[in-house]
Amino acid sequence: MKKRIGYFICHCGINIAGTVDVKRVSEDLASYPGIIHSEDYVYMCSDPGQSRMIEAIKEKKLDKVVIACCSPTLHETTFRNAARTAGINSFQCEIANVREQCSWVHKDKVKATEKAIKISKSVIERARFNESLEPISIPVTRRALVIGGGISGIQSALDLANSGYEVVLVERSPSIGGHMIQLSETFPTLDCSQCIMTPKMVEVSKHPKIKLLTYSEVQDISGYVGNFKVKILKKPTFVDPDKCTLCDECTTVCPVAVPNEFDLGLTRRRAIYIPFPQAIPATYTLDINHCPGLVPIACGKCADVCEPKAIDYDMKPEILEEEVGSIIVSTGFDLYGKDEMAEYGYGTYEDVLDGLQFERLCSASGPTMGKILRPSDHKEPKEVVFIQCVGSRDPEQHCAYCSKICCMYTAKHAMLYKHHVHDGQAYVFYIDIRSGGKGYEEFVQRAVEEDGVVYLRGKVSKIFEENGKIRVWGVDTLSGKDIEIKADMVVLAMAIRPSKGADELAKKLKIAMDKDGFLSEAHPKLRPVESVTSGMFLAGAAQAPKDIPEAVAQASGAAVKAVNILSQEKLYHAPTVAAVNSTLCTGCGMCVDVCPYEAVSLAEGKANVNEVLCEGCGTCMATCLRAAASVKNVTPQQVHNMIIASLEG
Amino acid sequence: MVTLEELKDNCRQILKEGKVKYIIGYKRKNGQYMTVPAFLDRIEEVDHLVWDPSCIYNLVRYLRDEKMRKEKEKEPDTRPVGVIVKGCDSRAVNILIQENYITRDDVYIIGVSCEKSGIVDEKKLTKKFAGKDIRKLDFAGNGKIQVTCGTKNSVVPAEEILADRCIECTIPTPIVFDVLFGEKTDREVPDPFKTIKELESFDTTRKWEFWKEEMDKCIRCYACRSVCPMCYCDECVADSISLAVKPDTTAEEKAHKIRWVEKSPVISENFNYHLIRAMHLAGRCVDCGECDRVCPVDIPLRYLNRKMEKESLDHFGYTAGMEPEKPTLVSCFREDDPEEFIL
Repeated sequence: MKKRIGYFICHCGINIAGTVDVKRVSEDLASYPGIIHSEDYVYMCSDPGQSRMIEAIKEKKLDKVVIACCSPTLHETTFRNAARTAGINSFQCEIANVREQCSWVHKDKVKATEKAIKISKSVIERARFNESLEPISIPVTRRALVIGGGISGIQSALDLANSGYEVVLVERSPSIGGHMIQLSETFPTLDCSQCIMTPKMVEVSKHPKIKLLTYSEVQDISGYVGNFKVKILKKPTFVDPDKCTLCDECTTVCPVAVPNEFDLGLTRRRAIYIPFPQAIPATYTLDINHCPGLVPIACGKCADVCEPKAIDYDMKPEILEEEVGSIIVSTGFDLYGKDEMAEYGYGTYEDVLDGLQFERLCSASGPTMGKILRPSDHKEPKEVVFIQCVGSRDPEQHCAYCSKICCMYTAKHAMLYKHHVHDGQAYVFYIDIRSGGKGYEEFVQRAVEEDGVVYLRGKVSKIFEENGKIRVWGVDTLSGKDIEIKADMVVLAMAIRPSKGADELAKKLKIAMDKDGFLSEAHPKLRPVESVTSGMFLAGAAQAPKDIPEAVAQASGAAVKAVNILSQEKLYHAPTVAAVNSTLCTGCGMCVDVCPYEAVSLAEGKANVNEVLCEGCGTCMATCLRAAASVKNVTPQQVHNMIIASLEG
Repeated sequence: MVTLEELKDNCRQILKEGKVKYIIGYKRKNGQYMTVPAFLDRIEEVDHLVWDPSCIYNLVRYLRDEKMRKEKEKEPDTRPVGVIVKGCDSRAVNILIQENYITRDDVYIIGVSCEKSGIVDEKKLTKKFAGKDIRKLDFAGNGKIQVTCGTKNSVVPAEEILADRCIECTIPTPIVFDVLFGEKTDREVPDPFKTIKELESFDTTRKWEFWKEEMDKCIRCYACRSVCPMCYCDECVADSISLAVKPDTTAEEKAHKIRWVEKSPVISENFNYHLIRAMHLAGRCVDCGECDRVCPVDIPLRYLNRKMEKESLDHFGYTAGMEPEKPTLVSCFREDDPEEFIL
């Protein structure tokens, strides 16, 4: 069958026409075999540009079109829709990228024009063998999974539930709340963190559409966008929340005391404990790693004193299976620990704290009931040194990136300190102050002007303890003077790291991580809440360090993206997927091993592609020794012809 | 050392018990000292079974014929086929299992260890014993081979007459077997990739000259492909015409057949053919040396395959046919795989 192909080249203003002689390209290709129509136009993507294409298809009865313009990631959809409007199958429209791959990267007009011709010819050769395809439709499970119960996860879950969709919220610790519930006050308004957080936590626990699974971890995920199957491990708490009356008798008899995670080790808790008074779900958890034994012979004191008989030593881990249509990952962050940062005496000196520990000291519900006291001797510190960028912005030894929130929370810490200890002095060592955000710069100015916080531009070289004081040696790079402060307390603004275990989860979910271990967004500007795997979205500090307002905004954004999927009757999947020629297939299974989407399986000794899972990446095609696998519309035949076309002349 | 009588007894036993359909082994070639493959399905035929340094062939090749025969039969005999394998051959069996071509139950593997010796190179042998009437070869133990010329026996160090691949072999004992004869031995080989050392030192121009000359000789008889136990595809990608036209092959599929390699034996097409074969053997070749041996125009095909073996070992720590339950070289990806070749 003779093919009638139309060719259009876009000037893209001077983006293409500045380097490529588009007129010459269009004239040259007019005589290329199969080309019935060839023209150039200043902006093909504009409405008149598209109309010209539609007109040409109708008038000259074209059955295929090739548009030479920008990258197909930008306007492929535009032109394919236009092709459909004109009455041909949208997969009969192909894009030749002569901008990113030609005009933008070359200077020599003659050579660039030659290259544009070759690129165009090779795409024409590909289009010549394009099949007409229809999108594959798949049903949608209209529920969502949110992983991580910090502020981002809570916000996403609430937004989804309030839109009418069922949500499964999974949190690995015994209570939701994340790091935000540990904070004392929040910048820049200094409102109490717990006071604004707990209403949201209560709303989650009471919401009929939210299924809350705390002390639970995602074990395994299979399926694809719209139809994920998730296995969740629910660890036993050994306490029945329905029976528990929160009388607290169990903790008074428990003989074990271990560092309390909620207070970051500033206090101790029992093996049976409630993380904090407002915990959701409001119940106790028996920490099996520290309990002397789950048999009455070993201890059994808590079960003895429990009047409502809420403690059940026979509770077993459960594996729950949930089906969901989309997933939001909000696994949050951790601070750099003493293993990573040993320079400033963190973990060695009791009065060297990290930011979260200082939050607990400031918090009204904290270990000191809101009084700022030194952990070592419970005296009020009169001089406190805050050090910014501890581990951040240090590409040689630590993290290259800026942890973003430390400038603001250090200003807040210094301010809170001054509000608690009026005669105290706060010093802040900084590299530079980054206070972009509504009301942020004013907040930092207030710390300096109203609360007399001394900002010293420079790095600290050494911290050591002497006579009950912590001596801080540093340099003020503005005055060039060496500085020595005999401080009572040092607070380190530690670098923000992805939460521990996030990397393993990312592997299970098959979502990418960046070099620092934060989850990668699909596009840094235009798709900031989508992961590279369709149907999975990112919220909060799991993606990059961010403050509460940003995390909440991203969480709501991710929820809307999830609703985009859940609100559909059916999802459509690109039909450019792999197909296996069973005559050539020997059933060696190498394609099964390499498929990153687990779309290929062996059935009766031959490879078989699940078209819904297949993303058309072509890895199977590259691996197959027998040339049995090929991706529709990128077949070996087409690639072969494309190579020939681009090598000729 | 392998005792031939024990080997024969075992073969008689499994044939008697009906454990195997038949046994693929070696027998003497019409009164000559070299051997040919033998297919033993009766107990009395086992008397002709031979195991000595002339057992060159990689008999795993015949498992392909067996599979094809079985596919055609309506009610195939599903009993396993007995096959006598050396260390290298056993790894070829492993690869066929790894690639799901056969299952472990399809074969009864009779392993024979080459110990510190191996298989002779007939050219080296006839050169060393030029003009002599060689009657028989025997393993003499301790890395020596006994050559019987007329009535005279002479014992020579194996290295003098061994095939190059056997000199470089580090895995003389079968990896997988149902029954093993001979000792499990390690071989200390100072330079397992000696064959390609000289060629590797050539600059690109010289390498090109070298291969151009070799490729010019190729007559495209495809003997290398026919003898290779790994070349089991029904249809080879190097064939420009469709060999496997089946009832469900559509006209479009036939029309879309790509000619990756033209049939005519010219340098460019010969290069294409041999490079495709080398690439397709990467991580699969066990260096049984059969392609190199059968080439009628003496193209050193082992150089290509040996180089690929070295690359897969150096870069990915992968030796073909050692672990059939693991993914193959080209289908496994590890995060620490070297990427220095990516620009």
